[in-house]
Amino acid sequence: MRAPRFPALAVLLPLAACAGVQSALDPAGGEAGRIHTLSIVLFVLCTVIFVAVAVLAALALFGSDEWRSRLASERLVFALGVVFPVLTLVGLVLYGVTIMGMAAEPAGAGRDALRIEVSGERWWWRVTYITEDGVRIESANELRIPAGQPVPIELTSADVIHSFWVPQLAGKLDMIPGRTNTLTLHVREPGISRGQCAEYCGGPHALMSFFVIAMTEDDFAAWLLKEASEARPPAGEAAVQGHALFLASGCGGCHTVRGTGAAGVIGPDLTHVGSRHSLAAASLPNDAPSFARWIRDGQHVKPENLMPPYGIFTDAELASLSDYLDHLD
Amino acid sequence: MPAEHRPAWQRLLAAVTLIAGLGVLAVALFIWSGVYPVGADREHLGITTWLLTQVRERSVATYSSTVEVRPVHDPDMARLGAAHFEGGCVPCHARPGEPVNAIVSGMLPPPPDLAAALAKREALEEIFWIVMNGLKYTGMPAWPSQLRNDEVWAVTAFLDRLRETGPAGMNAYPSMAGIDRLENPPPGGRPAAEARQPLTECRRCHDDSGLPTLSALVPNLAGQSETYLRRALHEYFGRRRPSGIMQPVAGALSSAGMERLAAYYAALPPPPAAAVDAKAQERLRGQDLARRGDPDRDVPPCLACHGDGRAPSFPSLAGQHASYLLSQLELWQRGGRASTAHGRIMASVARRLTARQMRDAAAFFSSEERQPLGGRATAAGGQP
Repeated sequence: MRAPRFPALAVLLPLAACAGVQSALDPAGGEAGRIHTLSIVLFVLCTVIFVAVAVLAALALFGSDEWRSRLASERLVFALGVVFPVLTLVGLVLYGVTIMGMAAEPAGAGRDALRIEVSGERWWWRVTYITEDGVRIESANELRIPAGQPVPIELTSADVIHSFWVPQLAGKLDMIPGRTNTLTLHVREPGISRGQCAEYCGGPHALMSFFVIAMTEDDFAAWLLKEASEARPPAGEAAVQGHALFLASGCGGCHTVRGTGAAGVIGPDLTHVGSRHSLAAASLPNDAPSFARWIRDGQHVKPENLMPPYGIFTDAELASLSDYLDHLD
Repeated sequence: MPAEHRPAWQRLLAAVTLIAGLGVLAVALFIWSGVYPVGADREHLGITTWLLTQVRERSVATYSSTVEVRPVHDPDMARLGAAHFEGGCVPCHARPGEPVNAIVSGMLPPPPDLAAALAKREALEEIFWIVMNGLKYTGMPAWPSQLRNDEVWAVTAFLDRLRETGPAGMNAYPSMAGIDRLENPPPGGRPAAEARQPLTECRRCHDDSGLPTLSALVPNLAGQSETYLRRALHEYFGRRRPSGIMQPVAGALSSAGMERLAAYYAALPPPPAAAVDAKAQERLRGQDLARRGDPDRDVPPCLACHGDGRAPSFPSLAGQHASYLLSQLELWQRGGRASTAHGRIMASVARRLTARQMRDAAAFFSSEERQPLGGRATAAGGQP
């Protein structure tokens, strides 16, 4: 029983990945929707043509002499061999250009006020919201956007070439050092999608992911206001101790926590890290044990990442440090 | 088939096999009988000595041929080498110009008269190689830490000096090796009873009140945080921090002795900062690196961990010798300090530094005033 089942399973398993937060077959709006429509049209058309060709081939091999002589007529060969492909391909190209060209409706009024920059870093995402006053609000590894409107995202890279791909929302676009590419995301409904670096960028490339969280316009405005605020002061004995450890152990050399002395620019901004959907560029869930694991065993979780391993803390110290970070919401 | 009818080559083979077999048997019998004297009281047979010498010389020449020779004409290197020589080598080789002691002279082979042996050995890389690797069956040990070729080069620098001047020119030895530093104990007496043996007397190499270090390759300890000093001693003691010089010294200390020494040095007034010399440019670039890091190379600011707000288990670098800092940064880049949890943090940062950045940072910190930890001992972080 087992042996014949196995191949069937192996074929079915990958299909499980076709639903959910990182699937191009489950579009959540904008360009991804158009790509999806185009793909379906292409698949259906190709299937029809494939079946037709198979039928014709069968007729040619096994059909009656009458059928075979019809198929051999010069007119039919010309019609199916030249006219049909030319018409179909030209039609498809025109359709594809039209549907993909429907991109980027001009950004709605009030929205051009806010700019969003995403910079690919080894191996995480620096996300900066720039208000109309030029205030830069930095975040990382999570992109929040208002739903129901086109949102242009400015993509660049700080080091090597990365590629920004959120299959549910749009096609992929490369992030190239010294150059800004703009991708417009247009999410229909509030919800969560997952993105992934789609250009090999070194060691932990496969673990360079992020979440895109679409929110209602009001929720987004409220969130942005909160994101712009300073970190909340540590509350509770553990968090206070964790805060002191954070500053004394040099974490602030790479990380910023606004409102404290930590103002590093090398690693992700941690001001509101506790409120994010994931840790370490979507490598870990966001909870206190994950913080502890990341700090001590980051090189096992995500080999070759650029954060030095901090094996110097006792369990108690690690717990208070994790508590502090977890409460930075 | 009778033997005489076999072909000649078969008979020859049989004879050779028989003779070889008898030979092996004779050798086995000789070894089993134990008649060869292994006592060190009698010289080897002439042929054995000759054979051993040939093997040794050829091996040294072959293996040392890949050694890259470093410049050794640096008085700081020679002094560090001499200081280690005094503790680590003198027990067998004796001080320059003095005879080896009676116990050691009973060794076979006896430790050679170094001046004479050095005079015969022209290649510096061979001297380095022997100090680094030792010699089998002679009593000459390998360097305790194979990662510390910088320390071995320091000893080589001293030996090079000895080779050039000969024992007669070694009047300066007591001051080179820091022996004369022991004659005037510091006010208030010696720091700890544990530290009185010549090998372990810290003062012979390190700074003390009113006394600078013996060499710029030896770190200033005064005013360093107690937690850090204790951690360093424990790491040397546990052989987690590589050093052929400090591991044997720390290995002779008791836990209580390490506590007392850490407290003693932490309480000493910090060393004076190096004068700001012609290297002003270097110093300014180093200051920038220390304060702002180099984000383009993912280098955090040095002061994030080594500033006044640091955890007590992190060292202060201010007032440290530039040469010492540079030698440690180079060691870090070679991966020589990645065997401790603290070391692994710095290891990943050090690998990102350029050679110039290392020189700049060293120049900056050496000219800074060492500040004691500002009441931050509560921040914990410092298990030994």
